[in-house]
Amino acid sequence: MKRVECEFEAEVLDAVFQGRWPEQAGEPLRAHAAQCEICRDVAAVAGAISESREALVAEAALPDASRVWRRSQLRARQEAVQAAGRPITAAQVIAFACAMGLLGAVFGATSTWFQGALGRMASFEAGAMLASASKLLMEHGAFVLSLVAAVFLVPAVFYVALGRE
Amino acid sequence: MFRDTTFSDLNRSDAADEARTEFVVDEDAFRGFYERTSRGLWAYLVRITGDRELADDLLQETYYRFLRAAATHESEAHRRNSVYLIAGNLARDARRRSLARIPAIPAGEEIEQVSSASPAGSPEGRADLNRAMSALQPRERAMLWLAYAEGASHEEIAGALGIRRGSLKTLLYRTRRKMAALLGGRRP
Repeated sequence: MKRVECEFEAEVLDAVFQGRWPEQAGEPLRAHAAQCEICRDVAAVAGAISESREALVAEAALPDASRVWRRSQLRARQEAVQAAGRPITAAQVIAFACAMGLLGAVFGATSTWFQGALGRMASFEAGAMLASASKLLMEHGAFVLSLVAAVFLVPAVFYVALGRE
Repeated sequence: MFRDTTFSDLNRSDAADEARTEFVVDEDAFRGFYERTSRGLWAYLVRITGDRELADDLLQETYYRFLRAAATHESEAHRRNSVYLIAGNLARDARRRSLARIPAIPAGEEIEQVSSASPAGSPEGRADLNRAMSALQPRERAMLWLAYAEGASHEEIAGALGIRRGSLKTLLYRTRRKMAALLGGRRP
């Protein structure tokens, strides 16, 4: 099985992190690394990466801690407000759906022409259906248009309301 | 060390008061922790995303999520691991969400362009590192960075990257070999 670790790896890494590699790392460790593939790789990779880290850290222009804290507080507060408003919106949507359902049920139970239309649908005839639809539009045009608008508008209103959350 | 802190300086009279808006860490403790970790974390984010602007955004988001998580940590090392884990997850999510913004191969040239003004290290050496890092997978970059820039233990790296600890030694060995070959101009 191929060796993936070396017992001197940590020593080499310490020397790199402390800036002692290679000059001040000691001859025995340098001699070992010259023979050991793992330690040689560790020294090369850790040296390059830690140098890059130092360069990046030196040039980092970050917001100060107080600003990050304040922004986090404000955001937490905004999210809390949104979370508090969410159940109200959900309740409103449910109430509206219930009201629409109730309205539909009352309409279905009391409207003779609606019940008649349902009966005619049971014995469907294309010509009669077309005539019935024309008659319905002539007699109750405004209501039918409102119903159609509601069918298309209600989902759109729900989408906008829920989309804001 | 840590105590519960509330938003006493903010208006508490509306519906938000009903919801939880507390951070477990108080401001002084957070400030100290931020000062100790933010630069290293930003460098980590720059390296794994290859995008400085994104690193700026993710840094803020990381500390916000750290504060909102309201987790209690046993030690400074535990807190530090948490922010690196959050940052790594955010970078991964951002990469998935917007592949156009975070190139699969990081913008090494952009990093180099800004890094050239830095006094640490030679520009040639950094260009080599950028090129070598660009040839690695994001997880490989993160693994090497945590190990050799942050000095993280195997356990910490495994935790931060969601890798089984048993697999880490082999993965780290292979990635380091690959990186050493790339740095040395050899075929990995």
